[in-house]
Amino acid sequence: MTGLDQYFESPAEQREALLGIGLILPAVLLIGAVILYPIGYNVYLSFTTVPLNPDRAPTWVGLENYVGLLSSTRFWSAFSTTLVFTVGSTVLSTVAGLVVAILFNREFRGRRLARGLVLLPHVTPIIAVAFVWQFMLSPLWGAIPNMLAEWGLYSNSTGLLAQSSTALPMVIVFSAWRNFPFAFLLIVARLQAIPESMYEAARIDGAGPLAQFKDITLPELRGTITIVVLLRFIWEFNAFAQVWLLTRQVLTLPIFAYQTAFANFEQGTGAAISLLLFLVQAMFVVGFVTLFGEDKI
Amino acid sequence: MILRIYAQVRSSLGVLKTGYDTDSRLGHLGFYLSLALTLLIALLPFYVMLITSLTPDAAIYSDDPSLLPGEVTLSQYSVLFTSETFAFTSYFFNSAIVALVTASFSLVVGVIGAYSFTRLEFPGNGLVRRGVVVVYMLSAITVVVPLFQLLARFGLVDTRLSLFITYTVSTLPLTLYMLWNYFESLPVEIEEAALLDGYSRVETIFRVVVPLSLPVLVAAFLFAFKIAWNEYIFASVFLKSQAKLTLPIGIEQMNSNFNNVWGQIMAASFLTTLPIIVMFLYLEQYMVKGLTAGAVEG
Repeated sequence: MTGLDQYFESPAEQREALLGIGLILPAVLLIGAVILYPIGYNVYLSFTTVPLNPDRAPTWVGLENYVGLLSSTRFWSAFSTTLVFTVGSTVLSTVAGLVVAILFNREFRGRRLARGLVLLPHVTPIIAVAFVWQFMLSPLWGAIPNMLAEWGLYSNSTGLLAQSSTALPMVIVFSAWRNFPFAFLLIVARLQAIPESMYEAARIDGAGPLAQFKDITLPELRGTITIVVLLRFIWEFNAFAQVWLLTRQVLTLPIFAYQTAFANFEQGTGAAISLLLFLVQAMFVVGFVTLFGEDKI
Repeated sequence: MILRIYAQVRSSLGVLKTGYDTDSRLGHLGFYLSLALTLLIALLPFYVMLITSLTPDAAIYSDDPSLLPGEVTLSQYSVLFTSETFAFTSYFFNSAIVALVTASFSLVVGVIGAYSFTRLEFPGNGLVRRGVVVVYMLSAITVVVPLFQLLARFGLVDTRLSLFITYTVSTLPLTLYMLWNYFESLPVEIEEAALLDGYSRVETIFRVVVPLSLPVLVAAFLFAFKIAWNEYIFASVFLKSQAKLTLPIGIEQMNSNFNNVWGQIMAASFLTTLPIIVMFLYLEQYMVKGLTAGAVEG
């Protein structure tokens, strides 16, 4: 322990430091063993072909998995689907969250209850809401296609979730429905901190509601909206269950990785896809942390 | 006329935009209509879930699906619990065990860890904090392939232990983050007084800090519980035998193994939602604080 001595002026300080390390150690060891080590191991796996039998070692194939992926159209179509899904659901959930937050930014009876109810889509287990959506949208038994058909808006008997052209927009809408409460909650908390006097001053200057929104509300919300958009982008890019459980017709990169690794048992290629996903995600996380610092999330 | 309508629409849009109470009646009406529409969109699926779970099969699969309840029955629920085909009770029990163990363990490791990096100085403290924030944003898909390989090598596939470990670790960054934010807001003087009274650091944590932090401990426990209750990827890859499946995988299998059991699926979905909604409504205040502070995902 002589190496540690130089850091501390007194034995008491050293005791504190040792206790500090001792108390954080379980968390660090667990995170190291279950997250950090696997990420490193994933890099190795992505350069190998993994045999089905776990007792046999993976065989090194170099860049083969990556070359195969980057030259396959399936990978690139999954990539563009992921981008469309990520951008679409991030934008839609943030805009919806903003509108609802503005709606809730005033006193009315039952506001707390209403806020609790609006949060339900976000706190409910995905499995439950994904199946209700499947049921509601089912062309045979679902009330919604039926209603749309009655109004003459929709007449396709194959179902909105059964073909990829309509399934992707539905997944975006579903994801926005599930996640708008997240944007709503962060934005409404910030809205309530904007001093009323700013609006009063603007009204005296003759600013209408639109001008007030553009010149006061939006600039005050800029930081919060940036955080919401970045966090949602990071999470949507890796979203698995909320796409997979609603429809099997939308192939995003996380689903591509999952199917490759666990349905086709090409775990080396699966590892390569998750590594590519990780790199994109890491870029966003690093950007996020440098933009906001670690204590402002 | 058109000008008047335009002015009225403008004023009701004004309510939407600034949130301020204009005096106009139309403004009020516009506000309540928007509120009703918002609640309708947020709650319609829950309504459909509940209504369908109470509807007899014949009415669910009629030619003319309807959003209004007709005949009410509890048979969808009783089938779930009595029929040989669905192992719903064991799915529910498995989920409950996994979520409770995960949340408890994550809380204990989280409390000592968060205390360590808010109150004690040691080399690497800042690095650990930053690491926690970064790890918190990663998702399951980035580690599921290597974790599966490692678990297979250690013979841990199809064990509950594999879920306890992975869920504890995936909830840990959030637990640490929530507790750390809260501990920082506690006045240091109380702890210093306890230390002067002769308590050790560890005694101070459990006799002073923990009792002072009960609300956030409840919130952290609930979020860890909720994440474990909801988890899909790890469970779907690690678990093999029917008797060990958790709710998300179990209900998924009910759906893929049987055709048109929507009544039972909706009943199962409702029962899966219920514990979360009860906790949420009962402890809404803490949950909202937790959501806002931790920007929770899961």
